[in-house]
Amino acid sequence: MAVASLDPPLPAPDLVAAIPRMRRYARVLTGDNARADDLVQEALARAWEKRRLWAAGTDLRAWLFTVMHNVFVNQRAQARHERHHVSLDAEGEGGDAWHVPVRDMQYTRVELIELMQHVGRLPVDQREVLVLAVVEELRYEEIAAVLNIPVGTVMSRLSRAREKLRAAFADGVVAPLKVVK
Amino acid sequence: MNPLPISDADIHAYVDRQLGPERLPAMEDALARDPALAARVAELRRQNAALRDAFDPWLAEAVPERLLAGAAGPRLGARRWPRWLGTSLAAAACLVVGVGVGWFGRDLSLQNDGTPTTFTRQAALVHALYATDVNRPVEIWATEEARLVRWLSRRLGFQVRAPDLNSLGFALVGGRLVAGNENPTALFVYENADKQRLTLQVRKPVNPGHETAFRYAVEDGVGVYYWVEENCTYALSGNLDRTQLLAIGRVVYGQLAALEAAPASKAPPPAAKDGAAPPKLPDAMAPPKPPETLPPPARPSDGASPKLS
Repeated sequence: MAVASLDPPLPAPDLVAAIPRMRRYARVLTGDNARADDLVQEALARAWEKRRLWAAGTDLRAWLFTVMHNVFVNQRAQARHERHHVSLDAEGEGGDAWHVPVRDMQYTRVELIELMQHVGRLPVDQREVLVLAVVEELRYEEIAAVLNIPVGTVMSRLSRAREKLRAAFADGVVAPLKVVK
Repeated sequence: MNPLPISDADIHAYVDRQLGPERLPAMEDALARDPALAARVAELRRQNAALRDAFDPWLAEAVPERLLAGAAGPRLGARRWPRWLGTSLAAAACLVVGVGVGWFGRDLSLQNDGTPTTFTRQAALVHALYATDVNRPVEIWATEEARLVRWLSRRLGFQVRAPDLNSLGFALVGGRLVAGNENPTALFVYENADKQRLTLQVRKPVNPGHETAFRYAVEDGVGVYYWVEENCTYALSGNLDRTQLLAIGRVVYGQLAALEAAPASKAPPPAAKDGAAPPKLPDAMAPPKPPETLPPPARPSDGASPKLS
C-alpha cells in the first residue's frame, strides 16, 4: 500500500488524455452520444471523489473505466426502478445513432456502419467486453477487474458477442464483402 | 504427452494476443494442421480489425469543454483547484495535448499558467501517448503519405505538410489527428534506425500573430521545441538532447518556410469542412477509393458536442 497523503491529486493531464477513450467506452455503454458525455462527466466527478482509491502508478485508464462502469450500472438500476429508459434493458438498442466518421480505411463505410449497428444490438454486457478486449486491448484479467466479474464470465461474454457478430454477417444481413457497383 | 486440445478460450486469447507462451506452440501446431481452425482465426482477426477501424475514429473527435473542466477536478474555483487550472487545462488540451512520463505525483500547483509552459507540457503529453505506442502510433502510415496529408489538411482547414527528415536519419512513420478543444491537431511521427521517435504537432494558433519566437523546454525527459507563426503552431518533441532537437527543429522550420514561400503552396485546400466529400486532388499515391454509397455523416464535432447545460 502506498502511503497516501490526505488529499492526493489525480494527474489531471492524464485525465484529459483519457477523456477520448472514456467517451468511446461511454458510447459503447449507452449507445447515445449525448448520454455518453453525461456519463463521462459524472464519472470524472466520481473519480475525483474517489481518488484515494486509485493507486498512483497503476493504469489510470483501467481505473477510470471501472469508475465509469459503476456509475453506469447505478444509473441503469435507477432507470429501471423509475421505469424510464427501456433501451437500457438487457438487449441493446444503441448503435443506430452512432456514425462512422469520414476516414480512409480498409473497410468501406457501409461495412463499418453495419458492424457498429450489430455491436449496438448486442446486450450491453457483451458489447462492453467485446470493445474492452478488442478495441481497448485490455487483458482479460483487467476486464474482469473493471467489470467486477470472473474471468470465465469475460470469456463467455466475449465468445457470445463474437459468435453473434459472425452469425449476423453470415446470415446475409450484410455480406462481409466489399461493396462493388 | 499430447498437449491439451485447443479450447475456445485459447482461440480468443490467440486472436487477442493474450495467449500465454505455454499454449502458443500447441496453437501454432494446430493452426498448421487444421484449415478450419485457421479459417476461424482469420475470420476473428478480420472482425477485430474491422471493430478497431469502426471505433478508433471516435478518439479524434474534439472534447467538449465541460469534460475538460471535469478532468481538472471538482468544480472550478473550489478550494484546492484554482480557476486558472481548469482554464489552462482546457486551453492546453486545445493546443497540443500531452503528458510527460514523470507527471505522476507532481504538485499541480507548480504548474505555471503561462502559455509556453502549458504548451510544451501538452506537446510532451501527446508525444508520450503516441510515440511510445509501438504498434499503432499513427492512424495512417507513411506509405500513404499523400492521403495522410490531404486528410489532415482537410480536417485542420489549411494546408498541412510533413517535412522530409530523411537527411537527418528520421523517416516518416505516419500521422494522425489529435483531439483538441477548439482546434484539431495534426501529429506526424518520425523514426530513425535506432527506433527513436520524433513527433511534430501542427495546429492553428489560438491567438494568431501572438508570437513567433522559438522556445525549448524539457518536460520530464521529453524535449519540446516549438514555435508559433502567423497561421500555424508547431511543436517538435522527442527524447533527444537539446542540440539534436534544435538542429532538427531548424531543418523543419527551414523546409516549411521554403514551402510556404513557394507560390504554388499558397492556395488552401479547396474544401476544408469536415464531412464534406473529400476534394479530388490529383494524387498518384492514393489507392482507388471504394464507392461511396451513403451520404457523409454529420460533422463529428456536432454530433458529439451536446450543449453545455
